[in-house]
Amino acid sequence: MGTETRVEVAARVESLATVRAFVENACRRAGADAESCFDLKLAVDEACTNIIEHGYAGRPDGTITVSCDATDDTLRVTILDHGRSFTPGSVAPADVDSDWEDRPVGGLGWHFILNSVDAVDYVPDPAGNRLILTKRSRK
Amino acid sequence: MTEIRIDVVVRGPVEVVVIAGSVDGATAPSLVAAFRQRVGEGRIRIVGDFAGVDYISSAGLRALLETVKEARQRGGDLRLAAVQPDVRRVLDLAGFSGILKLYANVEEAVASFPGTGA
Repeated sequence: MGTETRVEVAARVESLATVRAFVENACRRAGADAESCFDLKLAVDEACTNIIEHGYAGRPDGTITVSCDATDDTLRVTILDHGRSFTPGSVAPADVDSDWEDRPVGGLGWHFILNSVDAVDYVPDPAGNRLILTKRSRK
Repeated sequence: MTEIRIDVVVRGPVEVVVIAGSVDGATAPSLVAAFRQRVGEGRIRIVGDFAGVDYISSAGLRALLETVKEARQRGGDLRLAAVQPDVRRVLDLAGFSGILKLYANVEEAVASFPGTGA
C-alpha cells in the first residue's frame, strides 16, 4: 500500500524551501534514511529550479505541483508544471573534472538530478510536463 | 521562505564569511553579493565558514565557483571550513572537492593563508 501526498506552489525560487520541507516530511513518514532523503530533496529542488528559470522563464503566474508516493522501500516524486516543455537529451553533460580555470560556472542542475536518484522519467503531455523521480531508500 | 544569515568577521588579512542556513536558488544571490563585495574591494583572501550550512544546491555552487575564479585571478582564494557531510557530498558530486581547498575548521582555514602568523 502506498500513500500519496501533494503540494502546489507558485513557480518562484521562494517556494523551493517549501518543496524541500514537503519532500523531507514525506521521506520521514516513509521511514527513509537521511542520506536518501537529502539526495531526493536535492534532485527535486534542482528540477523545480529548472522549471522556474527555464520552463516558466520568470513568468510570475506559473505553478508547480509536487506529489510524493511512498511504498515500502521506494519514494516516487512527480513534478508537474505547465511551462515550456523540455528535452532531457538536449542537456549537455556537466564538466566535473576540469581545473578551476576551465570549469564553467553553472550547468550542474541536471547532473545533480541524474546522480541523486535511481530513475528519472520525463513525460510531456497536454496536461503539462511530468518529471518523475524515483529513489530507493537504503533504510 | 528559506532563511540565510551571512556575517563577516575580519581575521587579519583574511575575511571570514560566516553562513548559516540553506543555500538555494532563493538565498544564493545574497551569498553572491557578499562575496562580490569583498572581491570587488580587493579583499580576496576569504574563508567561507560552512559550519551552519545544512543544504546547498547548484545555485550555491555557482556562487562558490564564481568567487574562487575571481579571487584566484587576483592572487587570493576562497577556502571553506567545517563543511558538513551532506554539503560535502554535494561538493563531491560536482567535482568541487578537487577545486576548492577545504579545512576542518575556521582556524586552520585562516592559518592556511600567508601572513596570518601561523
